[in-house]
Amino acid sequence: MVSPMTPIRRAAFWTWNSLAVSRAASWTAAVLCRCGCRPACESARGLAQSKTLREIGAPRSSAWLLVATLFLFGAGTPLFAAQTSTNQSHDPLMSLMLSSPSIDLDSPVVPTASFDPPIIRPGETATYRVMVNALEQSIELPNPLPAPAALKLQRGAQGEMLAFTGLKLQPRTCFNFHIAAAQAGQYVIPEFKAKVYDREVTVPAAVLEVTDAPPESVTPAPQLLIDLPDTNVYVGQSLRAIIRFPASPNSQLFLPVQTPPIQINGQGLILDYGSLRQHIEQMYRRPGMGSSPSLVYEASITPIAIGSLSLSAQSFVGNRFGGNTIVISGPNHMTFSGGPPQYTLLESEPVTLQVRPLPREGRLPGFTGAVGMFTIEPPALSSTEARVGDMLKLTLRVRGDANSNLPRLVAPPVPQLNDWQIFAVPSENLPLPAIQAQGFASFTYALVPLSTSIRATPKIPFCCFNPERGSYVDLSIQPIPITVKPGPAGADLRALLRANAAAVQPEKELTLSGLDSAPGISAATLVPNQNQPWFPLLQLTPLATFAGLWAWERRRRFLEQHPDVMLRRRARRALHRERRLLYKAARTGDGPRFAASAVKAMRVACAPHYPAEPRALVGQDVLELLPEPERTTRSGQTVRRFFAVSDETQFGEIRRDPAELLPLKPDLDCVLEQLEAKL
Amino acid sequence: MTSRGGHVFKLLCCRVIIGSSPPHGFRLKFGGWSLNAGGLFLMSLLFAFPTHAAPTADLLFRAGAEAYHNGDYPAAAAAFRQSAGLRPACGTLQNLGNAEWETGQIGPAILAWEQALWLNPLAEASRNNLRFARKTAQLESPDLTWYEAVSAWLPLNGWGWLCALSLWLVVGMGLLPGIFRVRKAAWHQAVAAFGLALFLLSIPAQIGIQTRSRLGFVIQKDTPLRLTPTAQAQYLTRLAAGEPARVERVHGHYLLLRTNRALGWVEKSQFGLVTQVR
Repeated sequence: MVSPMTPIRRAAFWTWNSLAVSRAASWTAAVLCRCGCRPACESARGLAQSKTLREIGAPRSSAWLLVATLFLFGAGTPLFAAQTSTNQSHDPLMSLMLSSPSIDLDSPVVPTASFDPPIIRPGETATYRVMVNALEQSIELPNPLPAPAALKLQRGAQGEMLAFTGLKLQPRTCFNFHIAAAQAGQYVIPEFKAKVYDREVTVPAAVLEVTDAPPESVTPAPQLLIDLPDTNVYVGQSLRAIIRFPASPNSQLFLPVQTPPIQINGQGLILDYGSLRQHIEQMYRRPGMGSSPSLVYEASITPIAIGSLSLSAQSFVGNRFGGNTIVISGPNHMTFSGGPPQYTLLESEPVTLQVRPLPREGRLPGFTGAVGMFTIEPPALSSTEARVGDMLKLTLRVRGDANSNLPRLVAPPVPQLNDWQIFAVPSENLPLPAIQAQGFASFTYALVPLSTSIRATPKIPFCCFNPERGSYVDLSIQPIPITVKPGPAGADLRALLRANAAAVQPEKELTLSGLDSAPGISAATLVPNQNQPWFPLLQLTPLATFAGLWAWERRRRFLEQHPDVMLRRRARRALHRERRLLYKAARTGDGPRFAASAVKAMRVACAPHYPAEPRALVGQDVLELLPEPERTTRSGQTVRRFFAVSDETQFGEIRRDPAELLPLKPDLDCVLEQLEAKL
Repeated sequence: MTSRGGHVFKLLCCRVIIGSSPPHGFRLKFGGWSLNAGGLFLMSLLFAFPTHAAPTADLLFRAGAEAYHNGDYPAAAAAFRQSAGLRPACGTLQNLGNAEWETGQIGPAILAWEQALWLNPLAEASRNNLRFARKTAQLESPDLTWYEAVSAWLPLNGWGWLCALSLWLVVGMGLLPGIFRVRKAAWHQAVAAFGLALFLLSIPAQIGIQTRSRLGFVIQKDTPLRLTPTAQAQYLTRLAAGEPARVERVHGHYLLLRTNRALGWVEKSQFGLVTQVR
């Protein structure tokens, strides 16, 4: 079915490729025009309008493209360089931004709808395409579509591309639906409203005819094909997926018009666009209809999730060139269609991939995720003799088969050893396809011996998983004998030793901690104490305590310096006590107690003034404290009388009845008031 | 059961406080009553925590742990959240963070773990989980100033109490010997100097606590940071769940946040402060 690429076909393909590049060059020319590169543009314009190009039948726009190509790769280069040197002050980012064509969002939105093919047999499937010249994110189609109930409708691919329309990039969004009808008839999907940029637009009606005898000229809808070498793989195992574009009935190539040329849909997969390769194969269209060329892409796909993964491919195809059709005659006839731009979104049937996890059993040290058929060459050491602190270079080559993903191979991890300082040296920045093409990945390590006791380079563990055998394969780098001589123990070496000692501590892998078994330290609230009103108020307690203690101390010192204050206070208290007793005796008519309490009260009230023991005072002492006029009047007489009765009761032979003093209580009160006032 | 438990707890406290005191240790005597140090501590607990809430929070904690072990993470998160609302505890918040993480709620998980650390900076499990979560979700840690870092040496209220106690210790050591007519000894001055040092150290930590209390974390995924505190405001950027920010101002339902890169307004419901259990 697939024939090898002949030289003629290869030449045709390169022609197509150079024309595609010329399109990009025309943008550059347009940019130069805007930037003011007049001489270059004049020459380019002249070439574009030359007769030669018109003679070969190329339209004016195609001529421009070729001129721009020449300009970019040939004569224009010095001019371009000169222009660059004169505009050094320009911001290159700003220039790039200004030069890139803007996206056309202002043109009227014109949706189209069609069936591909428009005529099918009952039970066959047609593709219903809705194409809108707007951004994909801004389009809202009704769900479900207003299709007749007899039509079985299933959503297919959808995609967006940017078509170059001269000065702007116009977005084109396509929605595919797979439609099948069980019975013959004419089915119409009526026009319906869709929302684009928040405005309603009308998608026109489309007619599908289902008949038992469709015309011979009607061919099934073109589809992409995905071939996978294996559909039962391990996670991380790379596959070379082959995506075939369909062969057109009129020998025209279906060319992708999007960048990148294919899109793989599916979760849990990595498509390595760097590994994308293209070629042309001869493909048989239908029995009896011969073959025609078709485009084939190969890409490396790596599953990164476990389980059943579904993947499909899609791509916008169309005519890359405006104007006339380009035909390459010969044994392998090839046609590049011209005419107005047409874009069609093709898709493939989904393919299911069963992805198994890598076994945990038998995993060897140094596994970095390498899955495939790898072998390791003997490592090369820069020298077998070194001094302590010298740097040695260890180069390692890992070879892999065609399916192995060599560009993405992760280097064996650097071991942490006490006697060695080992660094992984960044590899050469080779393009990924170049690494895949050369068939091996190269890794370099810088090894610094730190001890004279070293006899060989360290073993660097490394392994890969072989999917064919289903087991891990040891690819460890074996030690190479080496002689290490003493070297200068400089500051660098000490720093290396320190760094090495620190690096030898293995980094703990972070995991989620388990649950706490108890609530632990708690608080009434997460607001800090200092922000709660009770906390400052609580500080008043010690403040008041200390203030009280301080005041008490001050008072105590004052009283120590003024003892009379205390004497008077005590005297006042004693006077009050005696007065209470005195009143009690007066109420009960107890004359002796009344007289004794009265005398005692007068004595305690007078004692602080002398100062003296109250019992030592006599009536005269009390009289002296009374005002001068009072001493001879009623108050004085009361005092004398009380003391006289008291003395006679205590010491005299003739005892007088103290009850006769009871009527003197008001006078006594007056005296006691006067004495208390003096305290 | 709740009130009964509370009564038992109070009775236990009273027995310890008023009952026989240990032969050694600090005792205060008031007439025929005596208080020992343990009794005083329990008394402070008695008045510090509402005893009626403790069993409920514990029950919710146990229910949350059970739901978590059964794999019912939303129920576990709800139980832990209620428990933390009744009595914020380090372990409860740590478990709440785990449950939120398992349900895919990165913002609330990070907030809960930060709150656990806010309560107890020595909670190694929460610290580890934060490292794990930030590494997994590619999030930044909050930038702390030196005094905020100092404030994280002690639990939430540790610095407040230390500040107050050291202040009154200094005042006491200065005043009490004079009041009680005790000759000032070297140890008095040493204790006063020690207290003063603690007090001075606690001042920047107090400032750190104050500024850290305005720290919070974005709860919702892709939270818009607005130019103005209005619903129709222009979006400056979108913040990832769990991103740290500081509250600068409040205006209605919006908070003015300062993140590591920008300043803007965010809805209150989309942001959680470390001082608030959600």
